[in-house]
Amino acid sequence: MSLRISRRRLLRTAGATAIGAAAASFPVPGLIRSARAADAVKLGCLFSSSGAMANVEGRLTSVVRMAAEELNAAGGVLGRTVEVIGTDPASDWPLYAQLGRQLIQQDEVAALFGCWTSVSRKSVLPVVEQEDALLYYPLHFEGEENSQNVVYLNSPPSSSVLPAVEYLMGEEGGGATRFFMLGSDYVWPRTINQQLKGYWSKQGIEAEAWREEYVPVGHSNFQTLVNQIREFADQPGGQPVVILTVVGNSIPDFFREFANQGISALDVPVLGLDALEADFEGLDTAPLVGHLNCWAYLQTASGPRNEAFLAAWAKHVADTGAPYRGDVAIDPMVSVYDGVHLWALAAEKAGSFDVPEVRAASPEVSFACPSGYEIAMMPDSTYVKRGVYIGSLNETQGFDVLWQSDGTPDPVPFSPFMNS
Amino acid sequence: MTLLRLLVLLAVFAASPAVADRAALSAGLCAPSLGDQIAALGALAEAGATGGAEDARWAQAIVAAVEGRNLRCATDGVFIGEGEAALDAATLAPRPAPAKAAGPPVNNRLRAAAASAAAVLKLFTDFNPAVRAAAVGALERRREALNLTIVDAALANEPDAGVAAALEALRARLLLADAEPANRIAAIEAVAANATLRNRTLIAEALAGETDVAVQAAGAAALAQVDRSLALGRVLATLYSGLSYASVLLLAALGLAIIFGLMGVINLAQGEFIMIGAYAAWFVQNAIRTVAPGLLDWYLLAALPVSFLAAALVGLVMEALVLRRLYDRPLMTLLATWAVSLLLINLVRVTIGTQNLEFHQPFYVTGGVPILGDFIVTLNRLFAIVVAVAAFFGVVALLRFTTFGMNVRAVAQNRAMAGAAGIDARRTDRLAIALGSGLAGLAGVALAPLYNVNPNMGAGFIVDSFMVVVLGGVGSLAGAVVASFGIGQINVVMEPIYGAVAAKVVVLLLVIAFIQRRPEGLFAPKGRR
Repeated sequence: MSLRISRRRLLRTAGATAIGAAAASFPVPGLIRSARAADAVKLGCLFSSSGAMANVEGRLTSVVRMAAEELNAAGGVLGRTVEVIGTDPASDWPLYAQLGRQLIQQDEVAALFGCWTSVSRKSVLPVVEQEDALLYYPLHFEGEENSQNVVYLNSPPSSSVLPAVEYLMGEEGGGATRFFMLGSDYVWPRTINQQLKGYWSKQGIEAEAWREEYVPVGHSNFQTLVNQIREFADQPGGQPVVILTVVGNSIPDFFREFANQGISALDVPVLGLDALEADFEGLDTAPLVGHLNCWAYLQTASGPRNEAFLAAWAKHVADTGAPYRGDVAIDPMVSVYDGVHLWALAAEKAGSFDVPEVRAASPEVSFACPSGYEIAMMPDSTYVKRGVYIGSLNETQGFDVLWQSDGTPDPVPFSPFMNS
Repeated sequence: MTLLRLLVLLAVFAASPAVADRAALSAGLCAPSLGDQIAALGALAEAGATGGAEDARWAQAIVAAVEGRNLRCATDGVFIGEGEAALDAATLAPRPAPAKAAGPPVNNRLRAAAASAAAVLKLFTDFNPAVRAAAVGALERRREALNLTIVDAALANEPDAGVAAALEALRARLLLADAEPANRIAAIEAVAANATLRNRTLIAEALAGETDVAVQAAGAAALAQVDRSLALGRVLATLYSGLSYASVLLLAALGLAIIFGLMGVINLAQGEFIMIGAYAAWFVQNAIRTVAPGLLDWYLLAALPVSFLAAALVGLVMEALVLRRLYDRPLMTLLATWAVSLLLINLVRVTIGTQNLEFHQPFYVTGGVPILGDFIVTLNRLFAIVVAVAAFFGVVALLRFTTFGMNVRAVAQNRAMAGAAGIDARRTDRLAIALGSGLAGLAGVALAPLYNVNPNMGAGFIVDSFMVVVLGGVGSLAGAVVASFGIGQINVVMEPIYGAVAAKVVVLLLVIAFIQRRPEGLFAPKGRR
C-alpha cells in the first residue's frame, strides 16, 4: 500500500518536474519584451544561451542586436526602428519550433534569425512554412533542402566541404587517400558523410579507404575513438585525414584528447567542419597547429570591411557587457550579421515588410560581407552565394587563411553525390 | 643595444664566405612549387649540418622564419619580417622589405619539412644534450629533411655518448632500403625496437619487395615481436581507458554517495557543485597568476582545498536554506535541489558568462607518456585517477576511523536512536552535506583538465553519478567503486565494437536489467532503513 502511494507521488513529482522544466526554459515575457514604440519593426532570434550549444550559439543574438543598432543609427528600415526580440530555446530542439511560432504569432516579427544545428532548423521549418515567415539560417549545413521560407545564409557542402576535401586530396593538402569520418549522431554529420562517400566513390576510391564513426551529441570521452584513429592512421595505404563533424562542446574535448595522445596535425590532419575559433577558447593550441576548418568567413580575412566589423563587435561587447569575447569573431556571427543587412536591403527595395515582397526583392540586393566578398541571394533558390575559406589553426587559437576561393561559387542545394 | 647587436651580426656575416650560397639557398624557399620548397628545406638542413656552427645558426634562423610564417619573397631577395623592420634572409642584416611581399603558403607538408629541418639544426647548435636527444626523437618520426650525410655529420660532431647512441640507432633505421642485407636486418631490428603500429607498417612495407632470405626471416621475427607488444599495448590501453572513465564516474558519484546514500537527499545540484569546484580552481589560477606567476604550474594542487571549501560552503548554505526543512520528505528534495541547480547555473552564466573557461595546462596534465606499443598514459587522465583514488580512501578513512564518521553512520542507520544516544543529528547532517558537496568540488578540480568548464558542465555528470550510486547500492562506498569501474570498463569494451551510441544504450540496458533483478544494488547495506 505504502509502495503504491509513494509511486503515485513519484509520478506526480515527475510530472511537476517536467512542467517545471518547460517553464524554466521559457523566456519570461515581461522581462524580455519591452513595451517600446508600437511602430518599431521586430526581428526574432532563436539562439540558445543555455544547454549544449550555448557556448557558440548565444553570441549570435548579440550580433543581431548589433546589426539592428547599425540599421537604427542610419535611420532604421523604411523609417521604422528595428527592435530585436531574444529567446532561449535551451538547446532543446522542439522548443525552437514552439518559440518560433510564438515569435511569429504573438510578437509578429518581420523575420526570424536562428538555429545552429540542422535538427533545430528542421524543427522550425514546418512552423515557418505554415505561417509563411522567413527564417535566416546562418550555418553552413548539409543542403538537401530548399524551402522558400528559409534564407540559407551559409554554404551547402558543394561550396564548403567539397573544396576543403579536394584541397586535402591535392598536393598542397598532403594528397590524402584515406579518411576517418567522426561525427555527432544526427542529420548534419550523417548527410555530409553520405555525400562524401558518394563523392569518393565517383573518384574511384575504394570503400576500404574510409571509416565512419558516430558519437552521441554532447559526447566527451574520446579516448577510445582517438585510439581507433591512430590505429587507422598507422595502417598502410597512404595519407590519412580525419573529417570531424562532431558539434558543440565535443569539439574541444576531441582536440584535447588528440593532442594529449601526441598525434600531430603534420601526421593526421583533422578537418573540423564545425570547428571555430570559439571552440578553442579554453585550449592550448600549440600542439594542434595545422588542423583545418572551412567556412565562408575567417577572422583573419583581410580587408577594411572585416576590420570595421571586428571593431564594431569589440565595441558592442564593451558597451553592452555581453559575456562573450570581443576579440573573437566566428563565421556564423558574420553570416547572421549579413542576414540582418540583406533583410533590411530587401525590405527597403520592396518598400514593405511583408514576407512575399521581401522574398521577391531578395535576389536583387547584394551586401559587402566582412569576409571580403560581395554576397547576394541566388535568383532561383533562397541560397546566398558565399566565398570559401580554408583555415589552418595557429598557436593563438585562431585560424590563418590557407586558401580562399576566387569568387563566390554557386551553391548546389541538392548534392549529386547523395545517393550514389 | 640594437646597434651593438647589429655590429656583432655584421662582423659575423661580413666575414662569412658563403653569402652567395646563402642567397641561393634562401631563394629556394620562394620557388613556385611545393616540392621545390620542401627540397630547399632539406638543402638548408644539409648546409647547416655540413657547413659548421655558423651556417647551422643561420639556417636555423631561416627555418624558424618559415615556421613562424615570417619569410617574405620579393623580386630582389628574400626577407624575414615586414616593412622597415625586415632582415635580409641571406645576411640577416636589416634591410627594408618591399610592401605587400608574401611568403610561401605554410601548409602542413611545408610545416612538416620545416619541423624536420629545425630538429636537424638543433643537433648542431644546441649545447644541451637533453634538447639534442629530443631532436633525435623527433627525427625518428619526421624525416623530410633528414639524410645519411646529415646523420654522419651529426655523429662526427656529437660529444655526448647517450645522444650518439640514439643517433646510431637513427642511422640504422635509415638503411631499411640499403643495398647491403646486413644493414637492412639491422634497420629492421632498430625500427622494431619501438613497437608501434606505424613502425610495423614501415617494416611490412620494406619487406614487401624483399628477396633476401635472411632479411625475410629477420623481418618475420621482428613483426611477430612487434605484434605481441601491440596486442599487449591494446589490452593495456583498453584497461586504462576504462580506469580513467571509472575515475571520472567515481569522482562525480562519491559526494552523491554520501548525500544521497547516507542522508537520503536526492541532490540534483550535485553536478553544479562540480562546476563550482572547477570555477573555484579557475579563480585560484587567476589569483596565483597575479600574485606569484612563478608558481602558476601548481595552481591545480592549490585549488584542491579551495575548491573543496567553496563547494562545501555552497552545500552548507543550501542545507541551511532549503534541505533543513525537507529531511522527512526526500522526494521534495528532488525539486528543491533541482531549483538550486538552475539557480547556480544561471548565476554563473550571468556573472561570468557561458564561454568555456581557459585553464593553464601545467606539465603534469599535458601530453602523455608512451608505455608499450601504442599505449599512451595521458597525464590529465592520470591526474583524475590519482585524485579519485585519494578522495575515495580519504572518505573511507573519515567515515571508518573518526567520531564524525561514526556519527554519520549512526544517523544514517537510525536517526532517532542516534539522537537518543546523544549525537547532534542536525550538526551531523550539516557536516555530511558539506563533505558531500566538498567532494564534488574536488571532482571539479580533477576534471578541469579533462572537460570543458562552463556553466552547463554539471548536467553531464548528474545522470551518470546517480546511476553509479544506485547500481552500487545506496549508501555503499565500495559499491560506488565497483559500479563505476564496471560501467567504465563495459563502456570502453563495447565502444569499438558497437560504436559510442550503442555502447551507451547497452550499458543503460544492463543497468536496468541488473536493478530489476537486484533493486538494492550491488552492495546492500545491512540494517534497517
